[in-house]
Amino acid sequence: MNVKISAAVYQKELLEIFRDKRTMISMVVVPLVAIPLMFNLINRFMSSREKEAEGESMTVGVLGADKIPTVVEALKAAGFQPVVKDDLRAAVEKKEVAAAVEETQDPSGEKHINIYVDRTRQASELAGDKIRTAVDKLKMDTVRASLRGSGVSEKILTPFTATRVNVASEKKMSGLVFGSALGYIVILLMFTGAMYPAIDMTAGEKERRTLEAVLSSPAGRNEIVLGKIAATATAAFITALLTLGSMAYSFRFAPQASRAQEAFHITPPDMPTMLLVLVTVLPTAIVAASLMVAIALFAKSYKEGQSYLTPIVMLAAFPAVVGMLPGLELTPALALIPIFNVCQLIKEIFLGEFSRVAYGVAFAANLAYAAIAYLVASRLFKSESVLFRV
Amino acid sequence: MIHVDRLTKSFQDKKRGVVHALDHVSFEVKDREIFGLLGPNGAGKTTCLRLLATILKPTEGTAQVSGADIVRSPEMVRRQIGFLSGDMGSYARLTPREVLNFFGKLNGLEGLKLKQRIDEMVETFDFGEYANTKIDKLSTGMKQKVAIARTVLHDPPILILDEPSAGLDVPTARLIENFILKAKASGKSILFSTHVMEEAEYLCDRIGVVHQGRLKAMGTMDELRESTGKLRLREIFLDLLEMSEKAQGARI
Repeated sequence: MNVKISAAVYQKELLEIFRDKRTMISMVVVPLVAIPLMFNLINRFMSSREKEAEGESMTVGVLGADKIPTVVEALKAAGFQPVVKDDLRAAVEKKEVAAAVEETQDPSGEKHINIYVDRTRQASELAGDKIRTAVDKLKMDTVRASLRGSGVSEKILTPFTATRVNVASEKKMSGLVFGSALGYIVILLMFTGAMYPAIDMTAGEKERRTLEAVLSSPAGRNEIVLGKIAATATAAFITALLTLGSMAYSFRFAPQASRAQEAFHITPPDMPTMLLVLVTVLPTAIVAASLMVAIALFAKSYKEGQSYLTPIVMLAAFPAVVGMLPGLELTPALALIPIFNVCQLIKEIFLGEFSRVAYGVAFAANLAYAAIAYLVASRLFKSESVLFRV
Repeated sequence: MIHVDRLTKSFQDKKRGVVHALDHVSFEVKDREIFGLLGPNGAGKTTCLRLLATILKPTEGTAQVSGADIVRSPEMVRRQIGFLSGDMGSYARLTPREVLNFFGKLNGLEGLKLKQRIDEMVETFDFGEYANTKIDKLSTGMKQKVAIARTVLHDPPILILDEPSAGLDVPTARLIENFILKAKASGKSILFSTHVMEEAEYLCDRIGVVHQGRLKAMGTMDELRESTGKLRLREIFLDLLEMSEKAQGARI
């Protein structure tokens, strides 16, 4: 194996990658522009929806203010605007009011307050919660008044209070938010970032009829394929690097980032965490590159290459989605599952509680998969039937 | 320089079964000789040249290129040759200098030697300011010059050229012809395929006619004239094809 030959192929492929618009869009533009833009749009959308919901949620339907005067007074005191409606259920369904309240009485004389909400609407849910709080307060006020009349201390109502204390640090809370989504996004974009270079330097070379010139040079097939895979892996890795950087930037500096941080109680990831994540995704970048180069070799044209590799990106996304699920822990056995193991590791790294054994197993497994994928790609690169379809 | 011995390449075709693209072909290309492989489309010329360039592996038979065996020492063979195909594309996003740098490294050149050789090529082929212009901005003639420069950059003793002037206009094809003649004058052996009769007649010291994967005739123009009784290569070629098809018809 002459490493100088592979280095020459690597340099030439990188030069071509950096001059190819399609690759630059998937490798640089998507992570650097699309991600901050996406964050910004989501933030704006969420904040406008919240405002909208807040406005709408202050309307509440009642059958008549005189029928439940104390409840209506309590609702008004909580800032609600009671609106008289004949059919409460229909009024909520038709979005005429955010929620509705009625009082019923069973045969034993016990009163019930029914709160009508549409749980598919945020505004209605919000109104339902506020009404319940207002009604609970009214109930407690009524009980307190009765107790005062009978000379019993109000303290009997609160023998103790229960408070939930979150032991997770702000960093860990941030890790939960970051880690769950980040693995999926990084894997997806990394595979997309590898896709175009892989097609360009295999099917693209066939289509442009430049491959024969390289094959007739003294360069060995193993050396050529190593250079190509290394260049594709570099593209995948650059995509991962830019994606991580872009997401960290979006959380730290982008407009409205402070609101998101406040809402989720999160802080942007620190540099050591980001570096560890980058090291973790490196073998997967090589697996993605080898796999895509090997498959794209079967294609005769760029278009054909795209149709072969697009399903691969989707397949890669599947274990990444599973990795997003909460409650899963990376055992040494699960650490053998490619892609899933990286997503899970990223999540655990952000939570700051990954197992060194599982990390070692996952890293070694991913390196082994990368080596296997390279050997398969090398073998295919020597196959006349694959290269020339003869 | 090139000794081809019963070289055979068969493919498995889903519809046609086993196809013999090249069927026990033997010939020799001597030192400082231009040998032309002449044949219609699909005759097996490209397969033969791809086998000699070790891009494909033979099913049977072998060949020695400058003493190196194409089956046992393919890398040694590739060090001795410059391979150019007429339908080869170019790296459109690279400049001529970058292409030469890449192929120089693939051929084991490096450092000052590589730089000097690239400068020589830039001067010989008169690239001038175009040496640093992306290839997709160059004219067809200039692109062809880049391809030729890439082929001879490492100064190989043998050139294998597969229909190098196919699809080119007359001035660009002339560029190729001059290149072949200059290469011969500088001591190289050249094996090239074509189906342009005038080109073969003008350039070749000896000609081999290939049809349906088999070598039907071989010799100098005078020898071919003598064996067929025809004067022009075009007539000789058509006569050989006709004879070949009649013989095949008789066999069927």
